[in-house]
Amino acid sequence: MDFLSKAARKSPWLYRINAGSCNGCDVELATTACIPRYDVERLGCQYCGSPKHADIVLITGPLTARVKDKVLRVYDEIPDPKVTVAIGVCPISGGVFRESYAIEGPIDRYLPVDVNVPGCPPRPQAIIEGIAKAIEIWAKRA
Amino acid sequence: MAFLKILLDNLRKGPATEAFPFGEATTPDAYRGKVTFDETSCVGCNMCEHVCAGGAIRFSEKEDGLHFLIWHNTCISCGLCAHYCPTKAIKLSNNWHLSHLQEEKYEQVDHAVVPYRECTSCGKRLQPGGPMLHQLAFKGANPRSERLMNMCPDCRRKVSYIGEAV
Ligand code: SF4
Ligand code: SF4
Ligand code: SF4
Repeated sequence: MDFLSKAARKSPWLYRINAGSCNGCDVELATTACIPRYDVERLGCQYCGSPKHADIVLITGPLTARVKDKVLRVYDEIPDPKVTVAIGVCPISGGVFRESYAIEGPIDRYLPVDVNVPGCPPRPQAIIEGIAKAIEIWAKRA
Repeated sequence: MAFLKILLDNLRKGPATEAFPFGEATTPDAYRGKVTFDETSCVGCNMCEHVCAGGAIRFSEKEDGLHFLIWHNTCISCGLCAHYCPTKAIKLSNNWHLSHLQEEKYEQVDHAVVPYRECTSCGKRLQPGGPMLHQLAFKGANPRSERLMNMCPDCRRKVSYIGEAV
């Protein structure tokens, strides 16, 4: 088990939650993984498809009223310890949707956020910079 | 055999992956990143606050001048502020290094004070307005317009109608 937790510390798995984003940030997240020009996996991490496997959570979107409960439920499925990264100004402050009746964000009202990556959307390099910060936190927390 | 040529080409070109974060990233000069503000050329028209799509800009009138505040965490880098600013006091730099820890969330703020001017004749408080606005309004300076520029509307009217005896 010791070996496993040591290995996990070096290679966190990323998981993506869309909390009602316009998809701009999600496209940039896909870009970081799918386009060789950015290639986030050089940092030793990779995207996974199940919340149960996740170590670092990347959340996009302003947490719309409609999707809130579902997002919180998926978030609860992610085992602790985990590191949460807010991608884009939407989850951080609400961005252009701030103070709208349709949103419940900013997301830190409901979940503990560790790193913020503002931008609308942030460019892939900025996202990689944020993930690098999250990996640093993860290495201490895991 | 065409693939051999592609293989050779790829070998010659080297990896397509950018060095960042292990090296510098390429950033176009026109990239819209962090907003910068120059209080010396701002004329306090509040246009940037009015058009700001993210509601990131706040102006408030205080004793010592016009207080400008921007919270970068709700700026969507749309560039409207820079587009509508008459004197280009507000601009978007190509700095995109904005990621930060949650503890610093509310520190992502820039604050500046645009000082009021005083009427050179009666000392009344005037809206800010530097040489930049003067240049814009009159397409070039002349000593008379320069003198009038630093006066309040009342004194300006007196000088214009009655002459220099104010
Ligand atoms: S931050 Fe901008 S690009 Fe990202 S989800 Fe919100 S509106 Fe879309
Ligand atoms: S770039 Fe757009 S959102 Fe940002 S301060 Fe300017 S007007 Fe506001
Ligand atoms: S920054 Fe430009 S648009 Fe904004 S108040 Fe100053 S002069 Fe007007």
